[in-house]
Amino acid sequence: METTAKDRTEIESRKVSSGKRRLIGDRGSHFLKRMEGETGANIAACYQCERCTNACPVSFYMDVKPHQVIRFVQLGWREELLRSATIWVCLSCEMCTTYCPNEVAVAETILHLRSLAAQSTIAPREKQLAVFHQTFLDELQRFGRVNEAWLMAALNLKPGILKEKMRSGQLKTEIELGLTLWRKGKLKLLPKRCEAIKEIRDLYRNRQGDRS
Amino acid sequence: MNGRNETEADAGRAIGRVIVIGGGIGGIQCALDLADTGFYVYLLDKTHTLGGTMARLDKTFPTNDCSTCMFSPKLVQAAGNPNIEIIPSSRLLNLTGEPGRFTARVEKKPRYINVEKCIACGQCAEKCPEKVPDAFNGELGFRKAAFLTFPQAVPLKYALDPEHCLYLTRKRCGLCQKICPTGAVEFDQQPEMVDLEAGAVVLATGFEPALTVRDGEYGYGRYRNVVTSLQYERMLSATGPYAGHLQRPSDGRVPKKVAWIQCVLSRDAARNRPFCSSVCCMHAAKQAVLTRSHDPEAQTVIYFMDIRAHGKGFDDYIERARHDHGVRYQRSMISQVYLNPENENLIIETYDHHLNSKVEQEYDLVVLSSGFKPSSGSSALVKRLGLTTNPFGFLTADFDEPVSTSRAGIFVCGGIEAPKDIPETVIQAGAAAAEAAVVIQAGRYSATFATEAIPERVVEGPPRIGVFVCHCGSNIAGVVDIPQLMQRVERLPNVALATDFMFTCSAETQPRLIELMQKYELNRVVVAACSPKTHEPLFQDTLRKAGLNPYLFEMANIRNQCSWIHSHQPQQATEKSFQLIRAGVSRALRLEPLTNQTYRVDPRALVIGGGLAGMSAALTLADQGFSVCLVEIDTHLGGFARHLTETLEGDSPQKLVRILGDRVRRHPLISVFLESCLTAHQGHQGNFRGTVETKDGGNHQITYGAVIVATGGRAYEPREYLYAEDRRVLSQIELSRRLKEEPKWARGLKRVAMIQCVGSRNEEFSFCSRVCCSAAVKNSIAIKEINPDVQIVILYRDLRTFGFKELYYLKARQMGVMFFRFIPGDQPQVYNDTDEKLIVDFTDRSSHQAFRVESDLVVLSSGMRPHTGADQIAPVLKLPRTQEGFFLEAHVKLQPLEFASPGIFLAGLAHSPRFIPESLAMAKGAAQQAAKILCKEIMSTPATVAVVDPDLCAACLACVRSCPYAAPFITSEGVSEIPPAKCRGCGICVVECPARAITLKHCTDEQIEAEIDALLE
Amino acid sequence: MKLAFYPGCSLEGMANDYARSILAVFNHLDITLVEIDDWSCCGATAAHSLSEKMAVVLPARNLAAAEIMGLDIVSPCANCFNRLLFSKAMIQKKIFDVPWTVTGSIQVHDMTRFLARPDMVERIEARVRKPLKGLKVVCYYGCQMVRPPRLTGFTDYENPMTLDRLATAAGAKVLDWSYKTTCCGASIGIGRRDIQESLTARLLEKARQTGAEAVVVSCPLCQVNLDLMQRDKASGHLPVFYFTELLRLAFEAENGSAEWFRMHIADPVPLLRAKDLLL
Repeated sequence: METTAKDRTEIESRKVSSGKRRLIGDRGSHFLKRMEGETGANIAACYQCERCTNACPVSFYMDVKPHQVIRFVQLGWREELLRSATIWVCLSCEMCTTYCPNEVAVAETILHLRSLAAQSTIAPREKQLAVFHQTFLDELQRFGRVNEAWLMAALNLKPGILKEKMRSGQLKTEIELGLTLWRKGKLKLLPKRCEAIKEIRDLYRNRQGDRS
Repeated sequence: MNGRNETEADAGRAIGRVIVIGGGIGGIQCALDLADTGFYVYLLDKTHTLGGTMARLDKTFPTNDCSTCMFSPKLVQAAGNPNIEIIPSSRLLNLTGEPGRFTARVEKKPRYINVEKCIACGQCAEKCPEKVPDAFNGELGFRKAAFLTFPQAVPLKYALDPEHCLYLTRKRCGLCQKICPTGAVEFDQQPEMVDLEAGAVVLATGFEPALTVRDGEYGYGRYRNVVTSLQYERMLSATGPYAGHLQRPSDGRVPKKVAWIQCVLSRDAARNRPFCSSVCCMHAAKQAVLTRSHDPEAQTVIYFMDIRAHGKGFDDYIERARHDHGVRYQRSMISQVYLNPENENLIIETYDHHLNSKVEQEYDLVVLSSGFKPSSGSSALVKRLGLTTNPFGFLTADFDEPVSTSRAGIFVCGGIEAPKDIPETVIQAGAAAAEAAVVIQAGRYSATFATEAIPERVVEGPPRIGVFVCHCGSNIAGVVDIPQLMQRVERLPNVALATDFMFTCSAETQPRLIELMQKYELNRVVVAACSPKTHEPLFQDTLRKAGLNPYLFEMANIRNQCSWIHSHQPQQATEKSFQLIRAGVSRALRLEPLTNQTYRVDPRALVIGGGLAGMSAALTLADQGFSVCLVEIDTHLGGFARHLTETLEGDSPQKLVRILGDRVRRHPLISVFLESCLTAHQGHQGNFRGTVETKDGGNHQITYGAVIVATGGRAYEPREYLYAEDRRVLSQIELSRRLKEEPKWARGLKRVAMIQCVGSRNEEFSFCSRVCCSAAVKNSIAIKEINPDVQIVILYRDLRTFGFKELYYLKARQMGVMFFRFIPGDQPQVYNDTDEKLIVDFTDRSSHQAFRVESDLVVLSSGMRPHTGADQIAPVLKLPRTQEGFFLEAHVKLQPLEFASPGIFLAGLAHSPRFIPESLAMAKGAAQQAAKILCKEIMSTPATVAVVDPDLCAACLACVRSCPYAAPFITSEGVSEIPPAKCRGCGICVVECPARAITLKHCTDEQIEAEIDALLE
Repeated sequence: MKLAFYPGCSLEGMANDYARSILAVFNHLDITLVEIDDWSCCGATAAHSLSEKMAVVLPARNLAAAEIMGLDIVSPCANCFNRLLFSKAMIQKKIFDVPWTVTGSIQVHDMTRFLARPDMVERIEARVRKPLKGLKVVCYYGCQMVRPPRLTGFTDYENPMTLDRLATAAGAKVLDWSYKTTCCGASIGIGRRDIQESLTARLLEKARQTGAEAVVVSCPLCQVNLDLMQRDKASGHLPVFYFTELLRLAFEAENGSAEWFRMHIADPVPLLRAKDLLL
């Protein structure tokens, strides 16, 4: 088929104007299949009705909206997802999954992306949230139960956290909150322990057996 | 009543009776289609009245016609037909026997009011102390425990509600029995069992909203201002709980902001309702338009996913709703509705992409477009009959048998087959009647009653005029001051009686009219109500029954021409009503009795078009014993279906073409003309003559009583998207053929893009082609089955896999097919880049993101067009067409199978784009309409024809030239003559005649002048 | 009647008042709560976020312990309840192996649903000595108790009624509102307090609009969240009660002392005094 010079110019100009035009259909469906396999979420069934995004109480704070998360998984855009704020901001309140007409487990998908992000080398967009989850598990490993006061203290000792909180003024608020709770007798300084803490620590050691 | 035409059939012969279950529009239409073709019908309904869902609708899309006004004449016809026996409050318990000879055990539930004695005076309801939420009005209002379901109920008899009547529940009260003037209340009525003999059964049990209070979706049942769409119909209706003045349930305030939420319990796999309910998109649009016409200030928003306007002219309606009526569409599905506790308004939260924020919209009223489920009780009935349903309880029919069930002799139509709108229901009703008629055709006329010939009174002496004024619910009475009007009408000269009725057209008013005509010895009747176009035949029949010549009748249209258009000026409307009636009375004084002429009917049919619809219509008629002449323009029978490999559901159109073709060729009553067309056509219904021209130039003169037009369709040949320029661009039909012939080829594909609405829904061709979305879904599944790794991207505007086809859309998605919505006007671009790659660029409508697919294949879902054969036949038969070239039926809602010209019927793709089972149903339905003519020996012409006074005629040929029906001719005496059978009464010749030699009977100059004079008095 | 009690970490810390009121209420109802011996943390959102396996195995230890006891578990914390159910479901679907024996022989009850059974409500009504007349409340369930419905078994997930029934049984006037199960944002309170506070503030505003004088909850995180939000408000605050606190108050007319409520940030004492519900 012949392409005239004029056609070529038009094609070129189209390429320029489409600047941020994204190629789709080039990644195959491996990521989709993997995600469906690992979460049991019915991701392909989505028809983009946006019920999830309308239901989500924090969609405003998400860079990739819940319905787009599903679309991105279909398109195989793994990295965009793992770099997103969305996967950390999600509250796991399950509104999206509950209202989805296609039984897409949206919240579970996001949560799974969060764990993939935690295991990847990609720096989390919401560092504090990511570190918080890790700290929680560390505390759990230490005592078998979690004490709120110790949890907060441990979190602040994580690299960079305290500095960040001081910078943002968050630390001041937190101290204020802590004092309020203390005055009301809601903070217990002595952590309770689970006697069989070894059992729990063994679990951590065997964590490699995660379903993959 | 006369006796039966013949004695009961001999043993072994089919019983000429049919049991139709369900008294909605489907059941009634089916009953009429059978009763008018020589069969006797038992019409059963589980409730106290006929009516079904249609009786509860306010107006209907796409014409915004009043539902009651369309439906009421049907109810009256059913009630008045001597061959339809209505059995309300009944259910079929058991069916034994075989097709042709069934015995049905039917239980009649007690009504507690003797229908023979009840005169529907309403005193029982008035005095009844027990208020009950009125289910007919969606429980938005109350009725009494003694009640009439709705004002036009058939039979128009009251009933007691055994669950709420104080006497029946607690043996207290009994007031109704004491006050009933005719002693009709019978508390001791017991259920009664009857055995009915019938040759066939039709199920038309319909559907109902799936949403119940228990589901709790969107706060339904929890928040008072959340209603279902069917409740909203009642809220809009003049006979509804708010008498047609739109208000919201919580506080009676007029809603200023109304939202519709679509797909409630539809397309919802999570709630086990994965199918589409097909009709909700259109009725929401209609309700929004009506809301705006109730209150032009009101804001209306429809939250939707895909606008499924897949019917004829539906997209135009949506466009009008958007642009002319300001209905706002927002593509966003809602998860939850919140209540504002301060004013009971409702809050809907959506995410706004443009603002990047949550938007809270507050509405006065939220209407839930609930999906539909089989009507309650039908699952038990289906089980008793041993029928197979689909997983959702619907009696979905097979591809090649569009109204059959799993049990021979039992047929189905309407909403119980699958959710559908009124015209599709009417079509299926005709088809079910046709199938039943085929089974019991040997029993035709064996069980029917002939219409009683009533001796006509001789009209002598001074005119005695009766004027009957209709309230039309509140349509007229809500504006016009009826008492004041009646006082003035009574005093008009020659008016012997003037009285008014709530619904003059209702079935139960007719005997009352007859009684009054006889009692007051009326010899002229004027009905002041609505349009003679819809209601004149009904009242003329009433006159006939009263022994009056039906031409001694006149209508004054004080609704369409008065109360509707002057609704804000009641005083002037009352004055105008009086003037219209005065004009009618003045004309009535000058009316004279006229007599219809009769002629013999030619019992043969002509079918034009030998595709699936044409062949199916021909076979349906031939199987009922009528001779058929089938004319096909092409070299083969089969039409468009010859090009189709497989349907979405996996059936083979080509196999069906072979089967039907074989049957047509072998059938002794069918003669086929291939490569032929009808070139001349004259005559009138029951008595046509025509010329069939064959390819070799041969002319065959044929005669026939009815014509079925089934000229079919063809595929649109795309001019866009490099079609026919790049061999990697195919149509869906070409793709499916390739997949069939060479499945391995699909294994080499990596990426496929499909583009929908190619040559549909644009300026050149505004229709949706209905089938293309399913074609794309079908082919994408087919490719994925061969090659699961292929990436398929489907670019669409609205995905219209309505009904159970939605399940395949779900399947395609689950297989990984990706669907993107594009914006009309920002069409996808298809081009070759410098490396000869085939590129598809488009913008995703929801994310506004620009995407590109490097595709191995671009598949165009090209639309449908009417077959060119339609261009040939339209002028021959003088048939109207839409702008798109499809034929225009007589009425889009209730007469989808017939043309305005009597004796000519319509089926298949010639009507509009449709699926094969829909075409087959249409063919069978059209055949049944044709059978209504063919089965009669004698028919009559109307008496309203033009006659020439030979003494005044100068043979100037003005009439001959001007007549559109070529009726007048010059006799051997040198004057014009107009054969009454050909005259259509249009009156053109009367106006054209310079000698004023022609008079149109029933529309004489004298009559019209008198009418005008009285109007301007 | 005996039940295995899984208090969860919060009840040892911030929700100590909840723990005490639960014990008091069950005592009144003659139901013995046997605390699961040496129970361990369910892993909460953190385990679920970082490792699905940990989200299954951590609760499993407690499920196994209750199975040995042969008692159904009652869980006062919505999050624990959700995690225990999730673990049980995943083990039954054989998606993960756990080092303990979990056969699924025992039920996991959300405490409100257990107590809102008709027979229990009857029992509660019989124990009420001083109905909480005139106290207008809204019930707030949060998300973890009802969602996802397929896991929790709540069919009325948008309009659950268990707390409503219990507060009604205590004699309070329960107002319907649309935000029963709208998330309060507790799970990102640490890290994104801004988001959490906007969600919590909205809930309090909607409760006030509805005309509530107090909020009734059953989730320790929801309680602390809604309560802490009101730390600056000098007046017009909306006390946030655990439902068991209200039951206890209605059961123990003469012991309804102000002392009990000292752990609340939005002080409920003035309200209860005004309603003549406290001495």
